[in-house]
Amino acid sequence: MIGLLDRERLDEELYGDYETEKAREKRLAKEAREQEKQAKAAAAGKKVKDSNAVKLGKGRGEALFYKVTCKDNGRGMPNDDIPNMLGRVLSGTKYGLKQTRGKFGLGAKMALIWSKMSTGLPIDIWSATRGQSFISYCRLDINIHKNVPNVHIHEKRSNEEGWHGAEIQVTIEGNWTTYRSKIINYMRQMAVITPYAQFLFRFVAATPDKNISIRFARRTNVMPPAPAETKYHPSAVDLLLIKRLIAETLKQNLLQFLQHEFTSISKFYAERLIGEMGPEFTPKMPVKSLTAQQLVRIHQLFRQAKFGEPTGECLSPAGEYNLRLGIMKELHPDMVATYQGSVQVFEGHPFLVEAGLSLGGRDVKPGLNIFRFANRIPLLFEQGGDVVTRTATKRINWNSYKINQVQDKIGVFVSIVSTKIPFKGTGKEYIGDDIKEIASAVKSAIQQCCIQLKSKIVRQQQAHDRQQRKRNLSKYIPDVSRAIYGVLMEMADGQKSKKVKYDDDADDLLKKVALHQITESTFIQKLGQHVEQVDAEMALEYATQSGMVDTAREPIYLRTLESDYKFALELHNPVCVMKLFSDF
Amino acid sequence: MNVPFTHFYGSCLALAFAGYKDGILVDKQEEFQVLALHHPLGFSCRVSILLLMADKRKRATAENDSDEDDNGEQPMEAPRKQAQAALAFRKRLKPDNAILATVRKIADSAKSYKPQTQSLADLNLPNACKEVVDLSCASVMAEIEKTIINIARSILGGNGFGYSVPSRSSANQLYVQELDRIVLKDKASFRPFANMASVRKTTITTRILQLVHQLCKKQIHVTKRDLFYTDVKLFQEQGQSDSVLDDVSCMLGCTRSSLNVVASEKGVVVGRLVFVEDGDRIDCTKMGVGGKAIPPNIDKVKDMESDALFILLVEKDAAFMRLAEDRFYNRFPCVIITAKGQPDVATRLFLKKMKTDLKLPVLGLVDSDPYGLKILSVYMSGSKNMSYDSSNLTTPDIKWLGVRPSDLNKYKIPEQCRLPMTDQDIKTGKDLLEEDFIKKDPNWHKELEVMVKTKEKAEIQALSSFGFQYLSEVYLPMKLQERDWI
Repeated sequence: MIGLLDRERLDEELYGDYETEKAREKRLAKEAREQEKQAKAAAAGKKVKDSNAVKLGKGRGEALFYKVTCKDNGRGMPNDDIPNMLGRVLSGTKYGLKQTRGKFGLGAKMALIWSKMSTGLPIDIWSATRGQSFISYCRLDINIHKNVPNVHIHEKRSNEEGWHGAEIQVTIEGNWTTYRSKIINYMRQMAVITPYAQFLFRFVAATPDKNISIRFARRTNVMPPAPAETKYHPSAVDLLLIKRLIAETLKQNLLQFLQHEFTSISKFYAERLIGEMGPEFTPKMPVKSLTAQQLVRIHQLFRQAKFGEPTGECLSPAGEYNLRLGIMKELHPDMVATYQGSVQVFEGHPFLVEAGLSLGGRDVKPGLNIFRFANRIPLLFEQGGDVVTRTATKRINWNSYKINQVQDKIGVFVSIVSTKIPFKGTGKEYIGDDIKEIASAVKSAIQQCCIQLKSKIVRQQQAHDRQQRKRNLSKYIPDVSRAIYGVLMEMADGQKSKKVKYDDDADDLLKKVALHQITESTFIQKLGQHVEQVDAEMALEYATQSGMVDTAREPIYLRTLESDYKFALELHNPVCVMKLFSDF
Repeated sequence: MNVPFTHFYGSCLALAFAGYKDGILVDKQEEFQVLALHHPLGFSCRVSILLLMADKRKRATAENDSDEDDNGEQPMEAPRKQAQAALAFRKRLKPDNAILATVRKIADSAKSYKPQTQSLADLNLPNACKEVVDLSCASVMAEIEKTIINIARSILGGNGFGYSVPSRSSANQLYVQELDRIVLKDKASFRPFANMASVRKTTITTRILQLVHQLCKKQIHVTKRDLFYTDVKLFQEQGQSDSVLDDVSCMLGCTRSSLNVVASEKGVVVGRLVFVEDGDRIDCTKMGVGGKAIPPNIDKVKDMESDALFILLVEKDAAFMRLAEDRFYNRFPCVIITAKGQPDVATRLFLKKMKTDLKLPVLGLVDSDPYGLKILSVYMSGSKNMSYDSSNLTTPDIKWLGVRPSDLNKYKIPEQCRLPMTDQDIKTGKDLLEEDFIKKDPNWHKELEVMVKTKEKAEIQALSSFGFQYLSEVYLPMKLQERDWI
């Protein structure tokens, strides 16, 4: 390995893990075992040198060095842009307003910087755009002080398979054992929100028994549309942004600038706004000549004036179909409900909340399992303070939807998309609970899912009750029969001793009791018959109401066909249409 | 240092000192000193407590001095000032004879008071109401037998069976202004056996009917607990058998006492009352400080005699004990009664019997919180749970003596003894404001409004901040002298 050779230690006392005489004496008993372990570790370290994830014997605590490779079949990067796209911080091109996963490409660059900080190794990039006859290969690192890429190799290689996409490989220090669950969780959540993509995750460990390979299958080819770029809403801009928009605009005068560079400002409205700004403003004044003071005035008016709300057409939510599919595919729940809220607005930015709710399933812990997504990316950390967690744990009365918050396996999925997600803190880890608009939208989305599930749960309970009914009713028959017969016996005894007189009907009954023609078992039998009869009636009523026939059902999944086929015949049926292949 | 022990001694000693100041419990304090000295840590604890108290007193004095200049009328006052205020009230007390004279007048007017003779039937209410009566054992038996014969016939006819049980939910309750109590409307629900929701209750009802039938036949009484234990497996918990028992008495149209099932004794009575219980003559002045437990079956109580001038109804045990120990009933002839919280049937029956037999005014001493008022309301207009029997259980015309919300400032109860009302308290208070029995009396309504507005509550024990005996020696005599009840 380059830059990290295993060296013999010459001056043992120099190292932090050097053991003094005293300490060694104390652990004399343990020494043998200790040595054995070290020997084993050293042996393992040598063995895996050439594997994908390289484990070096000694690391800092649990932290070891790993090689991380990420490969996709996306659009790839143009050959000449690669060094700048990955080797220069804040070189992003996404300056328009758009629902995006990231903004400045910081994520990829942080990975590069982390590899530089921890191992000093450059990163490797392979990339090809669609239909490109070659693959660009680039090895580079970053000159942090000058903020320029430092390219080691940049060459074109053959692309025989016609591959397109990007592959990036970094060697970094990391801690797999502690964060394994987080990483797998992230992959799983990604799979939930993008059921139209296939993910393959492989971990190659020092010993093969610790290898992990997980495949998240693709289930659909319905994808949400790409989010559209939109203009800023006047109430969402700050002074700096106005200055930048003016610098970039191609419009000449103020009227045109207002009308075309913002949403929700019509020509008529722009004229009204300019009139309101003051006498020194005219519609025809050149927009680039505005003084700083005038800009402040425009900004002030933007803050105070009333504007129509942004439409939210630019947003691209995952969609109920995909959300439901993702949940069903990854969790295999007993029940699932999804809901998509309407577009709402927070500080001039449109946002939309989608929610999913699942009950039961594989690998789901009892209680609330919360899956959060912001612009369709999973949020992993700082769950406690997040608006979704708070809402689900504090503001939803699960009991009223017949859901047991402690025992049931509840999956709560909330995806928020917006042109600006109001993250709390710098880490983009969670959305604060202090925004009323978002909190209430999240609450109502979850509640809508709850309402959908409630009727299902009630129906399921009824079905369960129906099975239990006969057994439960029959359980009480002996108690009742004994009590009734007990009283009748007492009455019969009283009658015999001529103490009490009863009317004729009762008299007749009591005589039969006295002669043992009617006994406890008569009541048991009669009540048993009655319960059977009522049960049959109820079952019939239930069947007519729900119209369901309980037969064994099995879910099947149909995969989409990759390439074109010729079809011969269409078979129509109320549920679906089947097409038969012609050239088979 | 052992913190819990310090704390324990601290509180004990503080109490002992308070007792010493009032001239009672002297030997107890000495006892504590001995205890404290004998305990290995005791001495240091005791000393530190003493120091602490001295320090506190010093600080309090300093605060007091600075406060006095601007406004002395604030309810929040330093301890010394409180003591002065308490003393001021004590000085205003007239001699006992004078107080007695005023009380006697009230008692006399109560003697001439005619008990309400109106019954539900006289009123011609728009909705029919359900009421129960005392029935003899034989008629209860007859009722049960009739029911059993009916269901037996229904079962033999292959139709299963069920009971039509009057609903005791709050939607089926009605407050009748003229009678000043809650009555039950005639809504009933049918509980069929062959229904998942009602099968348990129906079964338990049948079993209870059989058990009550046996009781009536043998003419013995059992407690609710006894009844529960006769078939624990079926009843599962006492709450279930208890609620069905109420349903049964409602269904048969008799009082719960006529079912020969009683609750275990809870209430106690002490004071100038003599009565005969099952042949034994009981003198409630000779019952020590604990008082006489109120017998569960009121039909065995006969021949009540008393020279008392009023009946003092106390919410809880602690205040009752204070009054009993101080022999308050000897200074001012009265009967003191408590049910230790929410009143049970026996206590309510006993109070009703005392009121009708002896014709004495009833004065209520409850906490100044919504629950104190609720307890008064149960005595006066009945509980919703037992509204079918309200005619036998309610004692109308109870005077609210204290502790009333307006007393807190009037008697200068110190700030540290007042508690802020919780949200639940405030909600209960606001709900009570809407209740008919509060609305009918503008004075009561006003007091409750004060409570909800100040959001403060206080227990009877708050009066102990002036000394343990303040209740019996100053507060109550003062109240009687001023005829301060509503």
